[in-house]
Amino acid sequence: MSLLTVTVSWALLLWPCLFTVSVPLDCKDEQVSITRCPFISQEKLLDRVIQHAELISRISEETCSLFEEMFVPFPLRLQRNQAGYTCITKALPIPSSKSEIQQISDTWLLHSVLMLVQSWIEPLIYLQTTLDQYDNAPVILLNKTKWVSEKLISLEQGVVVLIKKLLDEGALTASFSEQSLFQYEPAPDLLESVMRDYILLSCFKKDTHKMEIFLKLLKCRQTDKYNCA
Amino acid sequence: MAIHSLSCHLLLLLLMSSLDGLIKPGSAFIHDWDQRASSVTLEPHITGCLSRDQETFRCWWSPGNFQNLSSSGALRFFYLKKESPNSQWKECPHYIYSNRECFFNMTYTSVWITYCMQLRGENNVTFYNENDCFSVEDIVRPDPPVNLNWTVLSISPSGVSFDVRVKWEPPPSADMATGWIRVHYELQYRERNTTKWEALEMQPQHQQTIFGLHIGKKYEVHIRCRMIGFKKFGELSDSIFIEVSEVESTETTFSFTIVVVFGIVGILILVMLIIVSQQHRFMKILLPPVPAPKIKGINAEMLKKGKLEELNLILSGGGMGGLPPFAADFYQDEPWVEFIEVDAEDTDSGEKEDHQGLDTQRLLGLPQPINQPMNIGCANTISFPDDDSGRASCYDPDLLDQDTPVLVTTLLPGQPENGEALLDVVGGTSTPERSERPLVQIQTTGPQTWVNTDFYAQVSNVMPSGGVVLSPGQQLRTQESTSSTEQEETQKREKDSEGEEKKEQQFELVVVDPEGHGNATESIAQQALTTPVSPIPGEGYQTIQPQQVETRQAAASEDNQSPYVGPEFPMAQFSVPVSDYTIVQEVDTQHSLLLHPPPHQSPPPCLPQPPPKSLFGMPVGYITPDLLGNLSP
Repeated sequence: MSLLTVTVSWALLLWPCLFTVSVPLDCKDEQVSITRCPFISQEKLLDRVIQHAELISRISEETCSLFEEMFVPFPLRLQRNQAGYTCITKALPIPSSKSEIQQISDTWLLHSVLMLVQSWIEPLIYLQTTLDQYDNAPVILLNKTKWVSEKLISLEQGVVVLIKKLLDEGALTASFSEQSLFQYEPAPDLLESVMRDYILLSCFKKDTHKMEIFLKLLKCRQTDKYNCA
Repeated sequence: MAIHSLSCHLLLLLLMSSLDGLIKPGSAFIHDWDQRASSVTLEPHITGCLSRDQETFRCWWSPGNFQNLSSSGALRFFYLKKESPNSQWKECPHYIYSNRECFFNMTYTSVWITYCMQLRGENNVTFYNENDCFSVEDIVRPDPPVNLNWTVLSISPSGVSFDVRVKWEPPPSADMATGWIRVHYELQYRERNTTKWEALEMQPQHQQTIFGLHIGKKYEVHIRCRMIGFKKFGELSDSIFIEVSEVESTETTFSFTIVVVFGIVGILILVMLIIVSQQHRFMKILLPPVPAPKIKGINAEMLKKGKLEELNLILSGGGMGGLPPFAADFYQDEPWVEFIEVDAEDTDSGEKEDHQGLDTQRLLGLPQPINQPMNIGCANTISFPDDDSGRASCYDPDLLDQDTPVLVTTLLPGQPENGEALLDVVGGTSTPERSERPLVQIQTTGPQTWVNTDFYAQVSNVMPSGGVVLSPGQQLRTQESTSSTEQEETQKREKDSEGEEKKEQQFELVVVDPEGHGNATESIAQQALTTPVSPIPGEGYQTIQPQQVETRQAAASEDNQSPYVGPEFPMAQFSVPVSDYTIVQEVDTQHSLLLHPPPHQSPPPCLPQPPPKSLFGMPVGYITPDLLGNLSP
């Protein structure tokens, strides 16, 4: 009887600690899953999200370069710059200059990231299918694309949890998925298809870079508010 | 098939682009095309745009060959920011004419958005190249790191190569703290007078180690960085120089110390080995052995082995030289003790031997067997291991000095090995002298009787007739002869007392079995003896007719000095063990000592003796000579 009361009292005393203790073993793979990893600290979650974003950005850059070398002729490589406003996410109200970015709130930062991530999930899936259609697409290109699309999904999950934790908001539904930004149109010929894919990859590269910077800024704000204006 | 068509398309495009004319120089500076034609007229163009921190950027232009537009203000710089399809060209926000530069500050800089540049002259002459469009993140070239320094990490034991750790700080212009820019560094080094730079792997840390540099060579090191995911490297930093001079001093001292240490260790080991191997010698030198106490002529091992025959032989003075006769000193100042003296003649060894043999036989009354050469001393028979104990050899010629009176020597028992009677007579006497000696009647069976006799014969009782009862040694001698009585005679004469032979006197020694008795030393004061005591049958007694023994010195002859039976009297063999010592009970009127008879003896050998009783209330025990005087009745 006494042992039982002791254990119960200890459990009651340590009850608040349960929420602050992180369980790294279970959550090493996935950023967030309430069912799987109920307990993870906020800092650790943010770090993992940033890791994901950095990795995705790097892989996307490598994919684009690889694609450019393989399929895009030299004179046409400048077209990506000209298609700056044809990126699928251009309509999103996301600031682009540092001054602007430094002025937006944490909420807006996170929401921007989430919008970006959610916008690119579908095009990446499409990209995988199109790349398979190329005859001499290197395996590494396909693998990278596949990997990126997977990681993007987990990044989305992490950002969702982060929004919940940091902003104390309820579960966000992917509101942007309703209006699909990406419309698939079958390309008339191969070159068009290649160029379209090339531009797609370039835009994706920019957006992942954006995501990375946003999340890092957020982290800086979390740790040291005054120096991270 | 698809790729085939694609390649065809590409080929066509290439042809078309080439047909379009030369690719304008300076265009597409983003892609670093190097195709410039000198002959082509250069129109005003944008030479390049650059951003150092992704927050601002600047562009430069050149008027080209159009010198009329070289003056400042002749050309105007316009840019287009493609944020929307309705974007407009705008003029440069900040001109730096001295540099022909247009500077875009933070408000005008937007990342991830395409910018296009163009130059306009007067009259809306536009010099525009479509290729001069870029996105800011693509033109970022970070500043080089600052505060480059190096430290030696380690030096190889061989002293040939060393490792260096180079440290630096990130460029201050890049906002890396907030994560705005993420860069990787590339360190390059080369040997001083070479042209090829070695580049290390890019990494984001602020330090890096260069391995395997050679001592004595000069190296040049610089560093640059670029944004991750982008192609453009920043400028190279200023070079620093690394050189490590040869450190032979430490190396030589190191090797020298090792050699010294090993040498010392080896010497120590040698010394230890020497000490261990020569331990005995060292111990002898350092701690000389203390000579063990030993008696001249006696080997301690003999005692252990129980060879009493040899021991007695030696002790009785045969080691002629081995043992000095103890009694001599002991009894020097005892006037009432008479020494039995023997002439010490110096005879040849051979003659001596013969004489000794003859003497033996004569004394013993035995037939003249073929005598083996007598042992003088103990040379042949007893071999003493002569070690360093200080014992002299058995044969000590010093004692054969004829001038000095030779003290008592006795008839030595023969050696068991030889099985002969051995009489060791100091010096030997001349035959005629011996002939005059009283005969010794020995009722022994033969020379073997002497085999097991002791050196010492302790007087156990004194007969009224003057006979002395001797007791043999404790060690039993297996007696061959069963004779009850054996007589032996000891006579010694000196040379100068030759003519002083007196009438024969019989000297009777009665040996009593002393079993278990306490020891009693006694000296016999004996006058001229009278009738011999009849031999007592049976029990291992020996009676020896007392014979007159010559006095020690004729001049100093003292009357009626009792003959002294030294402790060196040999004992005839006995059938029964007799104790060495008995206790003097009383002295009778004739100044004979009455000894305490052994209890187990049936009739006491000396019948006429009164029963033992203590005299004058004295304790039964030893009687010193000075007390003897009190005993006279």
